[in-house]
Amino acid sequence: MTGSERSAYLFLSLLQARTGTSFVSRLGEIPLSEIPEMRASELGERVRMTERATKAFDELRQGFDPESVLGDVERLGISVVTLADETYPERLKAVPDPPPALYVDGELPMPDLPSVALVGSRKASVSGLDTARSLGRALGERGVCVVSGLALGVDAAAHEGALEAEGVTVGVLGCGIDVVYPRSNRRLFGLVRESGAIVSEYHLGEAPLAWRFPARNRIISGLCQSVVVVEAAEKSGALITVRHALDAGADVWAVPGPPGLPECRGSNKLIADGAGCLWDIPEFVDSVAPLPVEPVRAKASRLDASVPAGLPEGEAAALAGVGFEPTAVDAVAGRSGMRMQEVLSALALLELKGYVSRDGSGAFVRRAGG
Amino acid sequence: MSVCRAHSLTLSGIDALPVEVEVDVSPGLPGFSIVGLPDAAVQEARERVKVAISNSGYKFPTKKVIVNLAPAHLRKEGPAFDLPIALAVLAVSGAVPAESLKDAGVVGELSLDGGLRGVRGALSMAEGARREGLRRLVLPEINANEAASIGGVKVFGIRTLREAVDFLGGAHEVAQAVPEGNDGSPGNTETVEDFADVAGQSFARRALEVAAAGGHNAIMSGPPGSGKTMLARRLPGILPPLTLDESIEVTKVHSAAGEGNGALIHARPFRAPHHTISTSGLAGGGSNPRPGEVSLAHHGVLFLDEFPEFNRPTLEVLRQPLEDGHVTISRVAATLSYPARVTLVCSMNPCPCGYAGDKRRTCRCSAGQIERYQGRISGPLLDRIDLFVDVPRLTRQELRGGLAAEPSAVIRKRVAVARETQVRRQGVPNSALAGARLREACKLGGDSEALFGAAIDRMGLTGRSHDRVLRVARTVADLAGEHDIAVEHLAEALNYRRSSFLDR
Repeated sequence: MTGSERSAYLFLSLLQARTGTSFVSRLGEIPLSEIPEMRASELGERVRMTERATKAFDELRQGFDPESVLGDVERLGISVVTLADETYPERLKAVPDPPPALYVDGELPMPDLPSVALVGSRKASVSGLDTARSLGRALGERGVCVVSGLALGVDAAAHEGALEAEGVTVGVLGCGIDVVYPRSNRRLFGLVRESGAIVSEYHLGEAPLAWRFPARNRIISGLCQSVVVVEAAEKSGALITVRHALDAGADVWAVPGPPGLPECRGSNKLIADGAGCLWDIPEFVDSVAPLPVEPVRAKASRLDASVPAGLPEGEAAALAGVGFEPTAVDAVAGRSGMRMQEVLSALALLELKGYVSRDGSGAFVRRAGG
Repeated sequence: MSVCRAHSLTLSGIDALPVEVEVDVSPGLPGFSIVGLPDAAVQEARERVKVAISNSGYKFPTKKVIVNLAPAHLRKEGPAFDLPIALAVLAVSGAVPAESLKDAGVVGELSLDGGLRGVRGALSMAEGARREGLRRLVLPEINANEAASIGGVKVFGIRTLREAVDFLGGAHEVAQAVPEGNDGSPGNTETVEDFADVAGQSFARRALEVAAAGGHNAIMSGPPGSGKTMLARRLPGILPPLTLDESIEVTKVHSAAGEGNGALIHARPFRAPHHTISTSGLAGGGSNPRPGEVSLAHHGVLFLDEFPEFNRPTLEVLRQPLEDGHVTISRVAATLSYPARVTLVCSMNPCPCGYAGDKRRTCRCSAGQIERYQGRISGPLLDRIDLFVDVPRLTRQELRGGLAAEPSAVIRKRVAVARETQVRRQGVPNSALAGARLREACKLGGDSEALFGAAIDRMGLTGRSHDRVLRVARTVADLAGEHDIAVEHLAEALNYRRSSFLDR
């Protein structure tokens, strides 16, 4: 029986990938195992199906051979978990529209392992990337699985942080399980596969189409008990993950950013709307994964507006001129009243000491806990 | 005697090669032909020479006239053979003593009334005449000043064919041309815009000062309206003065392109070709080869505004000049080489819409679009760029609150001293340092060595960026007048490294 259910879910999965509409949630009383044998018109009567979906159904049914579909992926060392399997993640089943089958490249973490999703903008600021990386590292050290989308920006930084701590991390794709997108993350893909798993609901070779990314966000949130938005503009894919997370009953947290900065408006608004405010990393890690014994009091964050003692005069003056939002070199020079060459050498020294970092547009920003 | 000879010269690249003009007049049907691989402009000399000789009051022989341009394998081009052909023809008929043509190089284009027009490459021709052991060079008056500036050959500028005949026959005295304005004084920089007018942007100003001092290639990245072009336009005003040898080379290139102003060039060239430029426009070439923009910027600055908008194959031709300091153009007829030792300065937007990283306007580009846009510049080209300068758009407060701007003349003095130091130490600007010479000139002390080690680890410097930082640090130290590279010099140089988004 399980075998036929498995192939039914596999069939549904391929159908969903093709049409972009969900059938799992509409099946109702129809026995699963009958679906691949049903005629499209028959099914269409019981489940509302568009013309396109009916056509796709017929095409797919003709050539459907579960053995060859499974064989293709298993030859690449990729396993398939369907809704009929016991290893299917329990939390993901609770999503209103769970993927009928998941392709898993690597190993899914143990079901009782707490997991946290870190999501945010692909074009995050340096401080956003910094935060994502520190969060990934802190969670990895605590043994929490870090789930993200293997995209550029916050996603990549989160995975990298978890990898630095040698923690478990899972990347969810919005394209075929064997497709590396974006290509520049090729190395990261390999590392994530080794320290966790790459997961997708799409079969080999499926292209990264735009509609597949919002859909994959429901898997990200469905795999986790908490979702953290590190940095998101007002219209960001990360906010779709938040909506899915609320549907799936996961906690939502957001990292506060400077007021008014367009890159942070989405995440800041979440806090205003009642999301958890992630104001301190150790505190957050304690709350998602409390230590069994008396938690070691984490050292307080070193985020401090005042200039730390012991810095040489020039560096202290330059540091005082750098803000928590990106500050151009000229502005630092203007605020500190120093000559340009002095400012430049002070900033490079501060960067090496970890007090500031330089972003892609050459502006400097204070670092938390450098 | 029915064969007479005159010595002339033709340009190959920026050097002049000797050409012997032989004229034979023999009885037969009247005719006039030119042999010896002449191009169309040389063929047309027949008509010009014939008419100019008659209009100057001499008689063109009504016999069979054959002109041979030797060596026959060398392709001859341009109208500069008009005058030697005319004089050799007149020498056959006895109007010009054949003896007088023996030690003289002759070049010049004739107009129909017998007047003389200027030629390209007068300076190179004077140099060629000197090399060939010719004592005199007779050429159009308009080119005389330029040709005289090299010395070693007596230069006579003349205005008409008639004057040339009289001069060679001894009936008319022509004063030997003397170079003017060749006192090694810096070029005229008054017309150049001044850095004192720039509000704010002291980071970019400082970076350009370093670029000028060390001859470093630089790229400025920033949103539209941040002042990249305005800054680059002020760069010529702070470049160090040309040495005499450099002046001669620059003048030769410009003269070969027909862009000379009749005198030695003293200001470093600044060329800003538009991004629609063709490959041969940039590198040089054409069927009638002339130097391209990269050679016209020799010893000066080549400014490429909107760098990623340039045609990629066009940009790739810059790789050879940036590496070797010259451009080689291979054609079926010949292989030419033009000098092209330039300081490359480019500007670009950070993304297609231009506003990535801008404070006031949101960037509408996706991460992939930005990556593609920046990927248009090839890695090998980026590897030749020492200074990466971000030019943000400043707010009004920042514009007003900036440091007081220094005038270009003050910066220029510092730059000139720093450049002299480099040339005295290693013979080349710091930007040309590599390998053993780089390690020799850029020895680090204990403290700076430790800092550099930390920078390599924390900032992820690669082998190439490692060398770049050292070269720039050397220039910063030279600007400060220091013998050794100290911690602050190295630290400043670290700011000019590639920002993360360009570093793939």
